[in-house]
Amino acid sequence: MIEVTRHDIVIVGGGAAGLRAAIAACEIDSNASIALVSKVYPMRSHTVSAEGGAAAVARDDDNFEMHGYDTVKGSDFLGDQDVIKYFVEQAPRELTLLEHWGCPWSRNEDGTVATRAFGGMSTKRTWYATDKVGFHMLHALFQHSLRFDNIVRYDEHFATKLLVDGGVVRGVAALDIRSGIVRVVLGRAVIMATGGAGKIFPFTTNGNIKTGDGMALAYRAGVALKDMEFIQYHPTGLPGTGILITEATRGEGGYVINSEGERFLATRDYGVGTKAELGPRDMISRAIIQEIEAGRGISGPYGEYVHLDLRHLGEQKIVARLPMVREISKIYIGVDPVHEPIPIRPVVHYMMGGIDTDITAGTSLPGLYAAGECASASLNGSNRLGSNSLTECLVFGASAGQNAMAFARGSSEGSEQALRREGEEEAARIVALRGKQKGGEKLARIRADLHKAMESGCGVYRSAETMNETARTVAQLKGRYADVALEDSSAVFNTELVAALEMGNMLDVAEAVANSAASRDESRGAHTRRDMPNRDDQNFLYHTLCHFDPAGPRLGKKEVTLGHWEPEERKY
Amino acid sequence: MSDGQQKKTFVITRFDPDRDDAPRKQAYEIPVHPDWKVLDALNFIKDEIDATLSHRWSCRMAVCGSCGMMVDGEPRLTCKEALDQYGDTVDVAPLANFPVVRDLVIEADGFMEKLTSVKPWIIRAKELAVEEGPMRQSPGELEEFKQFSMCINCMLCYSACPVVANEPEFIGPAAIALGHRYSLDSRDEGAAERNEVFRGEGTVFSCSFANECSEVCPKHVDPAAAVNQAKLNAAIDWATSLVLSRGGSK
Amino acid sequence: MSRNAHPHAMAPSKPGRTRTAPPQLPDRFPFGGRYLAYTLFDLTGILYLLLGLLVLCAVWSLGSGEASWNAVLERHRNIFYLGFHAIALAGLIFVGIRFFGFFPKAQPPRVGPLKPPPKGAILVGLYALWIGVTVCLSIVLAGGVFQ
Repeated sequence: MIEVTRHDIVIVGGGAAGLRAAIAACEIDSNASIALVSKVYPMRSHTVSAEGGAAAVARDDDNFEMHGYDTVKGSDFLGDQDVIKYFVEQAPRELTLLEHWGCPWSRNEDGTVATRAFGGMSTKRTWYATDKVGFHMLHALFQHSLRFDNIVRYDEHFATKLLVDGGVVRGVAALDIRSGIVRVVLGRAVIMATGGAGKIFPFTTNGNIKTGDGMALAYRAGVALKDMEFIQYHPTGLPGTGILITEATRGEGGYVINSEGERFLATRDYGVGTKAELGPRDMISRAIIQEIEAGRGISGPYGEYVHLDLRHLGEQKIVARLPMVREISKIYIGVDPVHEPIPIRPVVHYMMGGIDTDITAGTSLPGLYAAGECASASLNGSNRLGSNSLTECLVFGASAGQNAMAFARGSSEGSEQALRREGEEEAARIVALRGKQKGGEKLARIRADLHKAMESGCGVYRSAETMNETARTVAQLKGRYADVALEDSSAVFNTELVAALEMGNMLDVAEAVANSAASRDESRGAHTRRDMPNRDDQNFLYHTLCHFDPAGPRLGKKEVTLGHWEPEERKY
Repeated sequence: MSDGQQKKTFVITRFDPDRDDAPRKQAYEIPVHPDWKVLDALNFIKDEIDATLSHRWSCRMAVCGSCGMMVDGEPRLTCKEALDQYGDTVDVAPLANFPVVRDLVIEADGFMEKLTSVKPWIIRAKELAVEEGPMRQSPGELEEFKQFSMCINCMLCYSACPVVANEPEFIGPAAIALGHRYSLDSRDEGAAERNEVFRGEGTVFSCSFANECSEVCPKHVDPAAAVNQAKLNAAIDWATSLVLSRGGSK
Repeated sequence: MSRNAHPHAMAPSKPGRTRTAPPQLPDRFPFGGRYLAYTLFDLTGILYLLLGLLVLCAVWSLGSGEASWNAVLERHRNIFYLGFHAIALAGLIFVGIRFFGFFPKAQPPRVGPLKPPPKGAILVGLYALWIGVTVCLSIVLAGGVFQ
């Protein structure tokens, strides 16, 4: 059984990008019906876990050129320069809007918005609200969105399929987790804003919901996933849980030290120059791994780690600027950073790649837009600078909302009969999967094996052999997934069914990551190969495209938009 | 899992509306790791023993607000509570004072309505244009509402509140705290509008200051302070409006 | 096992999309754990009611002549009366301490241009006022002012 509803546009995902898109659409037309489909209540979205800040030019000693250059250099020159220019110019406007909507930005004494230093940024341009920036931004956006009664929320609805008719996207099929009914949510344009896919890795800062759903839906609908090989490892995660310790700790002056008490980022040559702890994430993550491999790590129950030392900042500063870091450290690792250094190690954090979008947030599929981490407009290239992503959600969320509305106005509704039929097929697929007893595979085993494969092949350091092995394993896992057996046949709030559908998405995303990675025979940004340690602009200054094919992924290339900043050796 | 490992029994409330007339208890004995939080045990049960167990969770760092449950009778974020502070038997139930959808999953739509009713957004007589840039707000002005902006909507306070238990109309601690947070914000001009909401049925004056909301708040928001501050503000607003409207009608 | 809360506690305005189990009260309500203090706090209302009745009786007797008033005073020497007053005093002190504990945080950070004094100062002021009023009343009642 299915239920069909109709809206002007449909947004999938209720985090920063999705909410910003919804608000942007309302600003254009307060009578338009905006569907917001999210598999969790919007304030649970993973934006909530972002900590350190959002970047935008704010100070007199800063300008768009500097923010743009920092970003393109951080991207190891794989970022599209038109996108980067657009982004840095829109950034202050978006963060100002958030201010007008109530985000409690931390302040200077004169009442202006305070900014802090961040890795790879050449001046203080990261706006912050202590170290709970994602939380405050998400709640400000969500609460602001509540004033628009033309936003129709589908809370706890899990979108499982893009509905395409006549080559144009017309809506999504979504499982109502509460009732088990599949809803066909139709609109004349669809925006994907579902975030990243950190959960394809075992050790990640990402929450349980980050399973790459939007990427997989677009991928299966024929849109390429771009630059999927670039997985950002955040240098400072807690061993064991992978919980994020914000880069703001280093922005505020924290030190990374090895077992010998040495500030190795300042004393040894890891390419970060005088930036030391304020180097970009890819370089610092590599440095930590190298320190550990050189025997200067500290061993603990969850493997080797190094220390993040904040003690010299003093209790007052830690309480005022980094209260969440202190809270998290105490609860999750039993360390009070006022008195002891925090154990940390690199942890999967962010995907530079995603649904192939352009500067308008549009995709190759008419009517489909994407924003936030699930999209790759090529702002971040091969390595994202900390604090650019929250702003990215706003900048491209807004343009997705605006451009989707413009598209919807000029688009027809498509054949309801055909879409209903598609919805019914999807409902049949989901009902067949629910409580499916036939099969010999366990979901938890497939997940464990996927984790193992991704960690070994797509870690901080990679090689042809391990990446190819991982790609093969993922292909096998897809076969095993077809044979999965489930236990829960209940229609109501069946989280096992949701997990099984998520696993299908994760396997598709993992396939794109592993195969894209195996195809890039160079080291660039977060993609670092032991067997090919150098960047190769001659042969690899392009975006990797990965197209879905039931027989296995097809890889393609897309040109990088240059023209403003000449690629140069990336040294700090 | 080694043999000498510690074990605990989890007595979990189960309810499947398709099959059960009423909630029942089910016990699971599992090996536990000394570093585990309560949530880790639930996930272990779900992955290894009983895949039909349903519960909400996501960030596992006490900020998304999904995983609130009654643990040994107290509302807790299960991702925040270390297992080692509990005995050999741990009772896990869905949040009290909420209708139960399934197992440990409660009906949250009622809360969403209450949250919306307090107008938790910046209200201004005239909307600012973005070109005017960010508003000024001193650190002191920020401090006045900052604490009340820390609410993660986990709804533990609703589970602890005796008024919520008995008065369905009561907007409740978290929603009032958020409304009050905006009224205290120097950028907001909507306090009068919200005070009108706060003077209605089932709002601030229903609160009997049990202070339970503040006792159980995992983010130290102190909603009881907000609700009772809102009482005073609403009363002052009411009194002044009375005086002013009399003065105006003469 | 827990008991039901109000059947509509935290229910949405429209019925949910699936059947739900009724909301349960927290296990410890009303006499377990921290709820005990709250319940006792509320129960002191009974003491005020009884005290109010006693005062009314006393006032009534004043109008009925000196003999009646003396009888009231005589009755106050009864052990039950004394016991009740001791309980009432304990209740009043408990309520005062609990109420004073909560009072400072219930003050808004600002009322118009006015800011409340620091929380500690409010607390000290409240107790000073309480003790002051008690001392004054004691002096009056002991005949220290009107002989």
